[in-house]
Amino acid sequence: MAFVELTGIVKNFGGVRALKGVDLSVELGRTHALLGENGAGKSTLIRILTGAHRPDAGDIRIDGTPRTFRRPQDAQALGIAAVYQEPMVYPHLSVLENIFAGREIANSFGVVQHAAMRRKVAPWLDRLNMPAALLERPMSSLTLGWQQLVMIAQALVQNARVIIFDEPTSILSQAETDRLFAIIGRLRADGRGVVYITHRLDEVPRIADRVTVLTDGRVRGSYPIGKASHEHLLSLMAGRAGQEPVPDTHGLPRPHRAPLAAAGKPAFSPPVLEVRGLTLEGRFRDVSWSIPAGCVTGIYGLVGSGRSEVALSVFGFLRGARGVMLLEGKPIAPRAPAEAIRLGIGYLPEDRKLQGIFASKPLESNLTANALGRFTRPLGRLDFSALAAAARQAMAAYNIKARGEASPIAALSGGNQQKGLFARWAARALKVLILDEPTRGIDVQTKDEIHRFVRGLAVQGLAVIVISSDLPEVLAVSDRVIVMRQGRVAGEWSAEAMTAEAILGAAIGARSEAA
Amino acid sequence: MPSDASAHPLAQPGGRVRRIFRHLPLPGEREGGLLATLVVLSVLIAFGSHGALFTPVNMDNLLVSAAITAIPAIGMTVVILTGGIDVSTGSMLGLVAAIGGLAFEAHWGLAAVVPVFCLTGAGLGLINAALIIPGRVPPVIATLGTLSIFRMLVFLVTGSNWITEIPPSLTTIFIVTRIGPLPMASVIALLMLALAAFLLARFRVGRHVYAIGNNEEAARLAGIRVRRIKLYAYVLLGLLTGIAALMTLGQSPMVQTSTGEGFELKVIAAVVLGGTELSGGRGTILGTLLGTLIVELVGDGVVLLHIQPFWSGVLLGAIILFSVGAAWRPARSD
Repeated sequence: MAFVELTGIVKNFGGVRALKGVDLSVELGRTHALLGENGAGKSTLIRILTGAHRPDAGDIRIDGTPRTFRRPQDAQALGIAAVYQEPMVYPHLSVLENIFAGREIANSFGVVQHAAMRRKVAPWLDRLNMPAALLERPMSSLTLGWQQLVMIAQALVQNARVIIFDEPTSILSQAETDRLFAIIGRLRADGRGVVYITHRLDEVPRIADRVTVLTDGRVRGSYPIGKASHEHLLSLMAGRAGQEPVPDTHGLPRPHRAPLAAAGKPAFSPPVLEVRGLTLEGRFRDVSWSIPAGCVTGIYGLVGSGRSEVALSVFGFLRGARGVMLLEGKPIAPRAPAEAIRLGIGYLPEDRKLQGIFASKPLESNLTANALGRFTRPLGRLDFSALAAAARQAMAAYNIKARGEASPIAALSGGNQQKGLFARWAARALKVLILDEPTRGIDVQTKDEIHRFVRGLAVQGLAVIVISSDLPEVLAVSDRVIVMRQGRVAGEWSAEAMTAEAILGAAIGARSEAA
Repeated sequence: MPSDASAHPLAQPGGRVRRIFRHLPLPGEREGGLLATLVVLSVLIAFGSHGALFTPVNMDNLLVSAAITAIPAIGMTVVILTGGIDVSTGSMLGLVAAIGGLAFEAHWGLAAVVPVFCLTGAGLGLINAALIIPGRVPPVIATLGTLSIFRMLVFLVTGSNWITEIPPSLTTIFIVTRIGPLPMASVIALLMLALAAFLLARFRVGRHVYAIGNNEEAARLAGIRVRRIKLYAYVLLGLLTGIAALMTLGQSPMVQTSTGEGFELKVIAAVVLGGTELSGGRGTILGTLLGTLIVELVGDGVVLLHIQPFWSGVLLGAIILFSVGAAWRPARSD
């Protein structure tokens, strides 16, 4: 019987259903891979299993007994430990102190017994091929790969029966990955259960006994290794986008692109924005994008693929990229966003709350913040009635629902805030508009509206870039798609050629190569 | 992706001696630098003042003053190690001295007044803790608030009058009584410093203080009682400030409305100069002791060298900028 049995797990965050009734079982002596793209619900599921979140519905059984985890220690006490993607470490403490933090061995006076702790961890060090001298080193002097091994040692010292790895190889080099896989094999042989979370399909057959595909908060399939082909797993991962036809999910049929042709625009006019061989050490490498006017270019890639970083370099926010940037054929090198905006490049940031809205200001100020020049009268006076009129006009044009232009933007729903930011950029005469995750955390209806606005701007002749990790969105809104993977361009498709499987495959580095 | 990711973790040399003595509070590189600064400053001031630095009267002043700063600096070190800060210490010292002074005026015996100082200090520390921990007010804001509130209360408690009925026995106990070459105040401070160093380095609760300052979220997930330990830290600082207030009255037997003004800066300067990182998780008691001695030496040296007093602030500021700036640069390039 399985050691861990999760059934019908449901978790909501606000109005968003992150998990919609998920089942998962973990057997001792087996490795269970959990496969899914970003936002599929993998991390939420793991936080429930480790006691960091409480499920809204569903059962957790450990060794056959129903359990409720009130805090992480409850799960730890039952033998469940996690090695997080970014190791949770104390940088200025020694490796030994990191392993025993919160579980120090002390005598009855409370004096910490280093010798006893060293003795306790010694057998596990051998198992992990860690030199004992490492214990006295400060944690911050170790590479991320070694820090991860320290976290595994911590789980072993706690006598964990089940160890969860959350995308452990995303921070590792090839050699470190091989070493980690050997260790996972040994843990499994010791009779421990392993849950291995990943979006890298190619890793699964190397280490797992069983694979479960999670997309959009649901289990799409669960198979013993060898019973499901690579292609089948890929199509399951693409699930939402691949199987359910796009027009039904978003009310945005592909023919949405018709207006472009009707407007008599050449399909791909000479590029307005072009980057050639752009490299920023540690972020992206040798990236070339060619962005034509009058159409929407979708940029798809997983978090960390470098997609936003390229855009931020073009926008002058990230500095130090080497390579060529051309705007209408002329080389540019913006050193600050203000300079990029003067050149005609706009950027709608990824994080609405932190980087977008002026939360304490009324809607009116938020809508017109980018275009104050137009409302400035002699001596720098602002024409407030004209500002208010412009704000009302934008509210009507972009269907922003608010009590009035003077109500604070923080009181609006996320969707209406986003439409407001969109209106802010649309008010400027731009050549290129970059939208980074324009509909994250926004309801389906507003998403639809924003997609229509995006298309509208392209039809007017703007070069629009939509960066997104939402595959259906990319398919629905783009005329062409560039896929980024690990800091490089992994493929490029025109509207006719793009399919969910091909794009996802290129983004996660699956075997089926780009067309 | 780091290119040296697969490098052996012991590739860079680690000193054997350092490894053996790691858990003893012996000087690290930071402390070595502070010790050198201390020696150089002493020599400069000694020459500049034609030996006035080492006259018995001046040494006693210096050592008592250092004791009064060092004792709250222990508590400040713990508070900053957990990632917090307390800027109300100066007003707190004034308020404890005022309340304790009233007890002296009412002719309470010394045995009754000492607990008044300790408990008042601990109680004021508890107020700060209550604002910061359950109240969730950021530490700087909360203690900036209590800095002015406590100062206002000094005016209320004393009715803006001086309290001068301080028994001379305080001076006798803390300054006149000596053990070897050291006045009693310094002996008490040294004992407290040694105890604190041992508690922080070797006891479970000390290691938890460091863990919280390193990564509060991880500490909570590891089952460390984060809120309770932070509470201890602020109350400890209050208690130690109460003891410092008592010693202050031994040093100069009267309470004014301005007693303790600017004291918090001296204490924080001593801790930060001693190498404790304001972001928490890193620092030692030995560093705090050396930092205190440097701060006091600068203050004393300015007097001895007949420099106008405001220069002591400039000098101290320059030393802090230099030493903290030097300490931060390598941390960024890791």
